[in-house]
Amino acid sequence: MASSVEQSPFFQQKRAKGDIVVTDPPKFDLDSYIGNYTAGSTRIDRLHHIGSHSPFLAVDAYRLAISEAKKGKNVGLYTALVEVFSGIAPNDPAALMDTTWAEKKTRDTSHEQDRLEHELKSYKNNLIKESIRMGNEDLGHFYYDTGDYSSAAKAYMKMREHCTSSKHLADMNLRLVYVSITQKSWMGVQTNLAKVEAAQLKGDDKSKLEPIVSSCSGLAQMSLGNFREAAKYFINTSPAYLTTDPSANITWQKDVISPNDIAVYGGLCALASMDRSDLQNKVLGSNEFRNFLELEPHIRRAINLFCNSKYSACLEVLESYRTDYYLDVYLFPVLNTVYSRIRSTSIVQYFIPFSCVTLDEMASKFPVSGFRIEDELEEMINSGTLDARIDLVDRLLISPPTNPHHDVHTDALAMADKYDHTLRLRLARLNMLAAGVEIKQDKGAGEKMSSAMGDGIGASLRGLGSKMGFT
Amino acid sequence: MTADLVTVLLQFQPESPELKQRRDYDQAARSFVSQLSNISASHWSKGADTPQDVLAVLNPSVNSIAYAFALRHRITALADKRSIPDTLKPGGATWNKLVLFLETFDPVQMRYAGQEWRKLVDYVEQIARATGSPGLAIAPIRSAMTRLDSTTGTFTSTHLSFVQLCMETRSYAAAEPILDNYIHSLPSKIPAAVREGLEYSVPCADVASSGEYIHQGSGHSDKITLADVQEYYLLGAMAFLGLRQFKKAQQLLEHVLIAPSNNVANGLMLEAYKKWVLTSCLVGANDRTIPRTANAAAVKNVKAASKAYEALAEAYTQLGNLPKLKAQIRAGAEIWAEDGNDGLVSEVLESQMRSYVSRLSRTYSAIPVSNIANILSGSPEEVTQYLDTLIKDGYLNARIEQNDKANTGAVLRFYLDPTNGPLAKSEKQQQQALFEQTLRTNILAEQVKNADYRLTLTKEYMDNLRRQNKKQGAGGDAMDMAWDDGLDAEEDLMTDLH
Repeated sequence: MASSVEQSPFFQQKRAKGDIVVTDPPKFDLDSYIGNYTAGSTRIDRLHHIGSHSPFLAVDAYRLAISEAKKGKNVGLYTALVEVFSGIAPNDPAALMDTTWAEKKTRDTSHEQDRLEHELKSYKNNLIKESIRMGNEDLGHFYYDTGDYSSAAKAYMKMREHCTSSKHLADMNLRLVYVSITQKSWMGVQTNLAKVEAAQLKGDDKSKLEPIVSSCSGLAQMSLGNFREAAKYFINTSPAYLTTDPSANITWQKDVISPNDIAVYGGLCALASMDRSDLQNKVLGSNEFRNFLELEPHIRRAINLFCNSKYSACLEVLESYRTDYYLDVYLFPVLNTVYSRIRSTSIVQYFIPFSCVTLDEMASKFPVSGFRIEDELEEMINSGTLDARIDLVDRLLISPPTNPHHDVHTDALAMADKYDHTLRLRLARLNMLAAGVEIKQDKGAGEKMSSAMGDGIGASLRGLGSKMGFT
Repeated sequence: MTADLVTVLLQFQPESPELKQRRDYDQAARSFVSQLSNISASHWSKGADTPQDVLAVLNPSVNSIAYAFALRHRITALADKRSIPDTLKPGGATWNKLVLFLETFDPVQMRYAGQEWRKLVDYVEQIARATGSPGLAIAPIRSAMTRLDSTTGTFTSTHLSFVQLCMETRSYAAAEPILDNYIHSLPSKIPAAVREGLEYSVPCADVASSGEYIHQGSGHSDKITLADVQEYYLLGAMAFLGLRQFKKAQQLLEHVLIAPSNNVANGLMLEAYKKWVLTSCLVGANDRTIPRTANAAAVKNVKAASKAYEALAEAYTQLGNLPKLKAQIRAGAEIWAEDGNDGLVSEVLESQMRSYVSRLSRTYSAIPVSNIANILSGSPEEVTQYLDTLIKDGYLNARIEQNDKANTGAVLRFYLDPTNGPLAKSEKQQQQALFEQTLRTNILAEQVKNADYRLTLTKEYMDNLRRQNKKQGAGGDAMDMAWDDGLDAEEDLMTDLH
């Protein structure tokens, strides 16, 4: 079964395009994993991602996704899913397009859209702010459900001028955050989150929103590749997130990112961006983040290993979970970067106490596949991550001796020289200004003459230049 | 009559006790100069070539003013006759006197006889050119310049003609002593109102800046235009290029770029920018940033006109991609040739290889030569030779050693500690360098202050001041404040260095 899925036209095409296809069976159980998420859109999104990347789980994932899609109003998504699935398992009953359902649903939704727009119009005529707000909100929900995210965002935006309390404003912004996350437009997520924070909420409302804001900020930062910022947000997410009530009718820990995700994302981002003491103090030592880490013990083990300088063991643990993380929809695009960052930080941290390590020792500590360790080290040195020199003759990695005295002197001299030169330039300019000379625009008749003069200058310089005769 | 002339000429004795006071000296010198310029030309030529010849009686280093006048009249008389007489030709008696004078005159006296000084310097150049050996004029002119003003920092028309002469004769090294002294003042016009206020400022005083006795009224220089100054800097930069002192060349080119401008650029700026882009590569600067004081619109103009150079510099920075630079150079061959920059461009190509090798020192402590040879596509022997010259020329702090291991051959080993190896500098040397730098910077700061002061003396400012004075009645405050402001700004700049 699995092999026929793997050889299906869909995955063959994917391979041909050079996309990643995860062939190893993942460690998690699909049902319990997807059970973490309740809302339709994120469930389908995640199932779709898993189905399209793991031949092992593809059939189950798509079956679930398609039945899920049928519950909703998004006809476009349904047909897309079925199309893909028919490329994987054409004989499966779920791969057959249910055209009657699709037609009926399309009709229903267009009716509903008309009704909602009509209602909104009548609210607007009545000039009741609250009704207009709710009308827009309903329309936004509707667009969101049918998968028209940009219209949804527009509808939510229209709520703004009709919001009467800061609570309404916050809800609206959270809705916008939600839409942007679904669209995966991370810059939008960030701006909307900033608006949520700017809305002046007090007391309970504020403390309720904080964990949501920080977890979403973390997600956005991670997806934008700012791992250090992301790690900070995730680590500071309060454990209240585990139990927090839905805000703006969204159960964030079930609809967007689960607490398990926070643990994984936060842990990986921290590993990729922090050094040992920071990891020890800020990650393992954090009372708040501990609650999350308990959900994903292997991440805690990896961080522990890293802190105890057992880098190869740490990398091994992470490597064994690589398959799982590839199947995470948010982690997938950044996973390779995160892993290579963790690897280079490990190498840097490993090398700190040594003055000299043989390259073979490095290669055994940090196993390489497909390339030579010296190439990797060379790249790290060139990019400035690793302060070391390679001895290709004796195959050593050497830590360069430092001489602060000499460095300070050299820097001071260089700086003084630069100052000196800048001052001279200023002086020259000051003199020219004082002498009242300035390059002016040529006017009319003068133009020809001056261009002729320019030629003259050019020609004489040319003569001099060619005479100088560099050899 | 001849005797009379001699008495007149000997009237002014700079060492005499009555002239100990600077003000007295000043007056005596001034009246002496005006007296001499009233003597008609025919008087000067009397008694020439006799033992009573004034040029024989006078001592050029003591009676410099008188000697300068006499010499000038003598040469004018001789040069009038179409062809140049033997005595004026290099090696001739008068030529020797001229050279001797320029090398030994009394600098303080020459502050008063600016016109004579300039004419004599001009004669040297003219004669040397006319006799077909312009190179002979370089040394006398240079010593005349340095004697008059040991900093040679006040720009005169002589500066420009001197550099032109050096470039024509390709004697770049001869120009270096003058070029090394940066220009700290341009001849300015000090308003009479200010001059009266400065009690001790007479030309013969021990002044800090040569700008105080070389100004627009002193006759040492022709009228200076901006193009003159720019051309001086540009030619100077080219002289440094000829000497392969790229850093200095780059710095001089920047002087051309920062010329004040009404949002337009001129041809000199364009030429300078093109050369500047190439020189920046040679210097190994990672960031090519135009000095901030340059006029942004003008720089934009010249940039737009030198796209080919920008592309070349871009290709240069890609050290991992050596063929790209070669391709760029081939593609633009005509442009380089037309601008007279092809020599510089081939230098850039060579320098890329060099900076590639020197970048290796940031990654490796030792690397077999054969590895480098693979990348540079040459035989190990050639590359070894090449590396050897690099080390000898001071580009690499490394050594080549033979390895006894099999299959490795020669090895390039870098010195990791900057205090080791052929390029190492000891702490003492560094301290010395820092000390010298401090001195230089202090002098420079003083000169900036002077320039700032001169700026306050411009016509616009004086007008403004006068208007303010009228408004407030007696109020010298405005000027004092300006002075203080200038001082503070300077102090801020320098605090880091002290």
